[in-house]
Amino acid sequence: MDKQLKETILNPIFKGNPITVLVLGICSSLAVTVELKGAFVMALSVMIVTGLSSLVMSLLRNSIPNRVRIIVQLVVVALMVILVDQILKAYAYGIDKQLSVYIGLIITNCIVMGRIEAFALGNKPVPSLLDGLANGAGYGLILIVVAFFRELFGSGTLFGLRIIPESFYAAGYMNNGLVILPPMALILLGCIVWIQRGIQKDLQEK
Amino acid sequence: MNTNGNTYTVIYTTVIVVIVAAILAFASQALKPKQKANEQAETISQILTAAKFGTKEEITKQGNSAVIKMFTDNLAEAYTVNEKGERAGELSLDATSAEAAEEAALKAQNYKIRDGKDENLPVYVFKDGTTVLPIYGAGLWGPVWGYIALDKDLKTIKGAYFDHESETPGLGGKIKEAPFQSEFPGKSIDINDDKGIFQIVKGGAPEGKANAIDAISGATMTSKGVNASINTWLAAYKPFLEASAKTVKTDDRILPFTLVDTTVVNDAELSAAKPITK
Repeated sequence: MDKQLKETILNPIFKGNPITVLVLGICSSLAVTVELKGAFVMALSVMIVTGLSSLVMSLLRNSIPNRVRIIVQLVVVALMVILVDQILKAYAYGIDKQLSVYIGLIITNCIVMGRIEAFALGNKPVPSLLDGLANGAGYGLILIVVAFFRELFGSGTLFGLRIIPESFYAAGYMNNGLVILPPMALILLGCIVWIQRGIQKDLQEK
Repeated sequence: MNTNGNTYTVIYTTVIVVIVAAILAFASQALKPKQKANEQAETISQILTAAKFGTKEEITKQGNSAVIKMFTDNLAEAYTVNEKGERAGELSLDATSAEAAEEAALKAQNYKIRDGKDENLPVYVFKDGTTVLPIYGAGLWGPVWGYIALDKDLKTIKGAYFDHESETPGLGGKIKEAPFQSEFPGKSIDINDDKGIFQIVKGGAPEGKANAIDAISGATMTSKGVNASINTWLAAYKPFLEASAKTVKTDDRILPFTLVDTTVVNDAELSAAKPITK
């Protein structure tokens, strides 16, 4: 049981990462990775939403009428997302403004519904909560890695702090404008998938 | 228990939805004051940025209460003007006056400008004589809005701040960034220029033209949108600007700042006394 629980937590972080292996949640990972701060808050929000939705759905799993289960899932996920959005609007207004619609769009993030359908409806609450959190963390990890490169090369900063010194700019260094735009995020994501499949040979298609 | 029966399904979904609605209603009510304060402070910090009280980051960093204090400490007058340029209403000199310049309020006024009546356009006058006027309009993907700060002469631009809802980052989104906004200070508006009170020119502004700046490369539609917004709104303020330009010349408003309070009193006395002198 303990080993199984460990597997539940570690699998989504690397071997079964929702973005690079299952290729879910791509849209938001391209949109909110311009700056690390935004990516970090987004990662945290998705973690909370996946974790809590999985927990609630797992608690309700035996009582849900099968015919309306997707609708009930949607209601629960929407509740979590709106709560996160409202709390961010109250306590992290600047970041919420920057993330704009993408917090609301967590509702449509396939990872959340995917984990409820695949895991929470058939497992006890505690493993479901951990599974949700771990999947959110796996998603967040990729977001943070992509955002790290995009902010460093696109703005010369990390978490808003200047990393590339002003003297470089004086000497002719320029921020890469392409990195700011979503297409470069897709290319970076592709590189991460490539590296992961290089390490994990069993993921390669024959 | 049969969880697939119709009655069970209907009751179950009803209960779930009612519970969820109750939680959301509670959360919304509990967090509303805080959210409203954030929006207010954001608008105020944008106005202060336009009026050159610091960069946006410097102002926002201080926190909501400091931003509001900075605003109320420096605000001399806040009022609204109608389509004839007359003072239509007074805004209180505390943070609530910024509500008239919030995006939603500007949107409502934008419709009224289009219809040419019932306008209630906000004017903020700071103690150093800076007058801040808001603008609002359509960018490429969504609304754009901003604040233009004019010097005492109501012609020279002291600063400007623009914000947008969904312009393309790195292209139209640049209107929110310092390099574009730094084109404004030192320029001036010309309310008698037929081609536009203030122009954002694609391909570069003509050398030496005081009321024109360069558009943003790769963001033609956003630049046009900002240009149109500025011109629509400044045209709406035109009667007010014309009327104020006269009073600026006649009575000596360029007094040391410490005397501003007394001038306000004098102004009131003057206007009250006018009929008699005539």
